[in-house]
Amino acid sequence: MADIINNQKSDLSRFNDDYTAKYGFHDPVDYFHKGARGINHEVVEMISRMKKEPRWMTDRRHEALDIFLSKPTPDWGNTKLLGEIDYDNIYYFMKPIERQQDSWDDVPDYIKKTFDRLGIPEAEKRFLGGVSAQYESEVVYHSMQEDLKKQGIIFLDMDSGLREHPEIVEKYFGSVIPSTDNKFAALNTAVWSGGSFIYVPPGIDVRAPLQAYFRINAENMGQFERTLIIVDKGSRVHYIEGCTAPVYSTDSLHSAVVELIALEGAYIRYTTIQNWSRNIYNLVTKRSVAHKNATVEWVDGNLGSRLTMKYPCIQLVGEGARGEILSVAFAGVDQHQDAGAKVIHAASNTSSRITSKSISKDNGRTTYRGLVKIHKNAENCKVSVECDALLIGEQARSDTYPTMEIDNNKVRVEHEARVSKVAEEQLFYLRSRGLTEDEARLLIVNGFMEPFTKELPLEYAVELNRLIALEMEGSIG
Amino acid sequence: MGDFRRLTATHEIPLGEMRSFDLGFYNVVIVHTDDGFFALRDECTHDSALISDGELDDGEVVCSRHGARFDPATGAVKGPPALVPIDTFELKIDGEDILVRVDD
Amino acid sequence: MKPTELTYTLPDLAPELLEGPTWLNQRRQSLRETFNSLPLPRRGLQLWRYTDPSRFIVETASHAASVNGKFEAIRTVEQKHVAEGRLVGLVTDINGREIAVHGLDEAAKSGLLVMALSDAAKSHHALIEPHLYSLVNAQTGKFEAMNGALWQDGIFIHVPDGVVVDKPLHLLRQAGGVGSAAFPRLLVVVGKNAEITLIDEYGGGPTDDSAGFAYANGVVEIVADEDSRTRYVALQRLAAGTRFYQTHRARIGRGAHILTIPLAFGGTLSKQNFGVILDGPGAESQMNGLLFGSGRQHLDNHTLHHHASGQTRSNINFKVVLRDRALSAYTGLIHIEKSARGCEAYQENRNLLLNEGTRAETIPELEILNEDVSCSHGATIGPIDPLLVFYLNSRGIPEREAVRMIVSGFVADTLKHVPEDIRERVAAFVDERLGNL
Repeated sequence: MADIINNQKSDLSRFNDDYTAKYGFHDPVDYFHKGARGINHEVVEMISRMKKEPRWMTDRRHEALDIFLSKPTPDWGNTKLLGEIDYDNIYYFMKPIERQQDSWDDVPDYIKKTFDRLGIPEAEKRFLGGVSAQYESEVVYHSMQEDLKKQGIIFLDMDSGLREHPEIVEKYFGSVIPSTDNKFAALNTAVWSGGSFIYVPPGIDVRAPLQAYFRINAENMGQFERTLIIVDKGSRVHYIEGCTAPVYSTDSLHSAVVELIALEGAYIRYTTIQNWSRNIYNLVTKRSVAHKNATVEWVDGNLGSRLTMKYPCIQLVGEGARGEILSVAFAGVDQHQDAGAKVIHAASNTSSRITSKSISKDNGRTTYRGLVKIHKNAENCKVSVECDALLIGEQARSDTYPTMEIDNNKVRVEHEARVSKVAEEQLFYLRSRGLTEDEARLLIVNGFMEPFTKELPLEYAVELNRLIALEMEGSIG
Repeated sequence: MGDFRRLTATHEIPLGEMRSFDLGFYNVVIVHTDDGFFALRDECTHDSALISDGELDDGEVVCSRHGARFDPATGAVKGPPALVPIDTFELKIDGEDILVRVDD
Repeated sequence: MKPTELTYTLPDLAPELLEGPTWLNQRRQSLRETFNSLPLPRRGLQLWRYTDPSRFIVETASHAASVNGKFEAIRTVEQKHVAEGRLVGLVTDINGREIAVHGLDEAAKSGLLVMALSDAAKSHHALIEPHLYSLVNAQTGKFEAMNGALWQDGIFIHVPDGVVVDKPLHLLRQAGGVGSAAFPRLLVVVGKNAEITLIDEYGGGPTDDSAGFAYANGVVEIVADEDSRTRYVALQRLAAGTRFYQTHRARIGRGAHILTIPLAFGGTLSKQNFGVILDGPGAESQMNGLLFGSGRQHLDNHTLHHHASGQTRSNINFKVVLRDRALSAYTGLIHIEKSARGCEAYQENRNLLLNEGTRAETIPELEILNEDVSCSHGATIGPIDPLLVFYLNSRGIPEREAVRMIVSGFVADTLKHVPEDIRERVAAFVDERLGNL
C-alpha cells in the first residue's frame, strides 16, 4: 500500500500543475451537465472543485479513490447481487437540478400506492418521488436553525460543515472509519456529497430530535452521504435519519458513511428508518466511538432496498461506556436485508446490549451478522445479545451469524437467538377472538416489532405501523 | 517472562521490510525502520490479520486488511480502525544477530 | 513481507497407495489433483480465524510409528475388557497404517464385520464403493482431499440390517513419533434397525513438540440407515506434541438416531469438525461435547447439524473449559433446507474461562430456509463465580481442587445425558482430563 500512496502523491502533483493543459478547460458545472458516468480521478477532482473544498479534502478523495479501485468486492454476503453492481455505469455526482425525474409517470406504481396509503401530502410525494428537488418545509427548517444557533449547536449539511468549520471536520473526518476500512468506505470518501454535520458543545441537552428530513434539498437523499456527529462532554443528542415512506431513486448504488463520536459522558442516539426503493443496493458503514462514561445507541430500521448491508458498530473505548443497538429488518419480495450489529469492548466496566428483530416474508431473506469483541485489557464487561427471526411463508429465509471473540475471562456474555414462524396457537387464539387471519397475523408481527417501534418518535411509529400493514397485505412489490 | 531467542540476522531484513517468525503458538514480526529493528506480535488487534502481510509507511506499520496503523517501537495505535495497542517484544542486537525476548 | 500464495502440492502417490482396486486408485489420484488445485483456506475466514492453516501442512512425512508405554497400557486394559465381555471388541490403529482386530469372534457370528479398510476395499467392494468418500470428499476441502489421497489403512465396520451390537466397540488409534504423518480413516455402515456403540480414541504422539511434532489428519464417515441407532464417542486425548485435523460426517436416514459425544482434550493444535446430516423424517441427532484446554493448547471445534429432510430433530450441547493460555474456537451451524418442514433444532454452547490469558471464540450460526421450524440457540461466556471458589476455600478445599470441583459441576449435566451403559467409561475419561486441568 505504500506504493499506492507514493504513486498517488505524484499523480496529485500532476493535477495541480498541468490539469488544464492535460484536459483543457472544464467548468465543473458544465462537466457534470454532460452527464459523466463512471469513476476516475477527473470526476473526483471536479466534485471537489465544484464544492470549493480545501486542498486536504481533495487529496483525501483522490487517495480514497485509489484504495477503492484496489480493493476487491467482498467475497462474503450476497455475492451474487454484489457482483451485479456495474461501477462504470453509475453517475457518481449529479447536481440537484439533474436529479429530477422527467415526469411523475416514471415513478413506479408501488411507490405511488404506498404514498397514497400512507397519506403523504402532495408536495412531499413529488419530493420523495424524485420529481422535485425541493421540499417546502422552509419555515420549519429555519425556525429550528434559530434555536440551535442560540445554543451554539452546529447542524448543517456536510458540505457546509466542511466549508464553515474546516478545523473540526479535519480533526474528526475519517477518524472512526478510514478510507482503507472497506471498498465502500473508500468509495464514499472519494465521492461523498451531502449528509449531516453536527457538533454539540459541552453541557447541552438537545431536547428535540434533529432530523435530516428538514434539510431542503435533494441531496439529503443522496447516494454517497457522509455524516459526522461529534457530541462534546456531557451533552445529549438524538438524530433521526430517513423516513418510513419509500424513497425512489434511479441511482442504484447507495453507500453512506456515518461516524459518531461521543466524548466523555456524552449521549448519542441515532435513529434510522431506511425504506429505499426496491432497485437500490444500500451498502453502508456506520460506526461510533464512545469515550469514558459515554453512551451510544443505534436504532436501526431496514425496510427497503434490494440489498442492504449494514452493521452499525459501537466501539467502547473509555471506562464505563455503554452501547445499545436495536435493529429491525423486514425483507419482502426479492429483498435481502443483511444487517447486524458490532460492539467492541476496548475498556473495562463497559456494557452493551444488542437486540435484533427480523422478519422475512415471501422470498425475502434476512441475515444477522454480529460481532461481540472483548479485548484482553477490558475487564468486567457485560454483554447481552438477542436475535429473533420470524419467517412468514414457505420461501422465506433467515440466517444468523453471530461471532463472539472474548479475550478477557472476567466478562459476562450471553447470546440467544430464535427462529420461528407465526405460531399456530397464537393465530388460533386471535381468530377465536374475532380477528381475521390477516388481522391476527398483523397483530402478531406488530407485537414482534414492538421493542423497536416503542423507541421511535410517535409520528414515525405510526407511519411504520401503516407500512408494515401494507407489507403484510402483500399490496407492495 | 522468557529468555532472549535468536530469531534471525540483521542482514535478513532489509530496511523498510518486515519478516514473520512462527514461534509455535503465535507469530512474531520483526520490522526494520529508519529507527531500527522492532518486534511485535504478528496479529493486528483490530481483526487478527497478519501484520507481516502489510507494509511500512512513514515509520509506521500499516495493516493490509483495513489500514490500521501502529508505531512499531511502542505498539501504540496510530490510525483507525484499530483501538488497542499491539504487544511488543524486547529486542536486542548482538553483533549480526537479532534476539527477541519471547513469552514462555 | 507478503507471503506468496501457499499451495503445497502433493508429489505422485507412492506405489504402496495404489495397490487397491482400480476404482479406489482412481479416486485417490483425483483427490490428489483436487488437493493440488485448491489454495490453502484463507486465514481470517471464520473457521480459520485464530488458526494458521499452514500449520496443518507437513512437508515431509516420516513413518516413525512410535508405540509408547501408555498405548501398551491402554491396549492391555481394553483387551482385558474384551475378555471380560465389557467390550465387544478392540481395534488398534497405529499411525494410520497397522490395523489389528481383537476379540469379536462371537460378534462376528451375528454378521458384524470389523476389518482393515484396505482389505475391505478388495473383498467387500459392494459395501465400500458406494459409501467410501460419500460424505467427506473433494467438495469438503483441501485437508479432506489430502486424507482422501493419502490414507494408508483405515478401519471398516459394517453392522448388517437388524444386528444389535450391545457392547461397545473400542477403536484405539495411536499417533506416530516426531515428524510422522498419519491419515487415519474410518468408515462405518450401519444397516436398517441395527445398533452399534463406538468409542473412537485418538492418543499418543510425542509428549511435547520441542523436537518437532506428529501430525494426524483423520476422516470419519458414518452412513446409518433407517431406524438404526448409533452412538459414537470421539475421545481425542493426543499428547502435546501433536497437530490434529479431523473431519467427521454422519448421514442418518428415516427414523434413525445418532448420539455423538466429542471429547476434545489433547493435542497442542487440534481442529475437529463434526457433522450430522439428517436425511429422512423422524431422524434425530444429539451431540454432547466437551472441550478442555490448558497450557498452550489451541483447540478448534466445529459442529454441523444439516436438516435435509422435514420432521427431523437435533440438539447440540457443547461446553468449553479453558485455563492457562489455552485458546478455543467453536462454531456450530444449524442448516435447515428449504424443503425441510417441521424441524426442531437446538444448540447451546457454554464457555468457562478459568483465568486471564485464555481466549475463546464462539460462533453459533443458523441458516434457516423453511419457516416451519422451531429453532433456537444460546451461548454464554464467563469465568467461574469467585464467590463459589471462596466458599470452597473457606471449607478447607485448596484452589486447584476447588476449581476442579466447580468444573465437574459444570460438565455434570453433560455426563447425565450420556447413556448409562457407557457413562462410567466417559466419566472416567473426563475425570482423568480434569485431573490434569
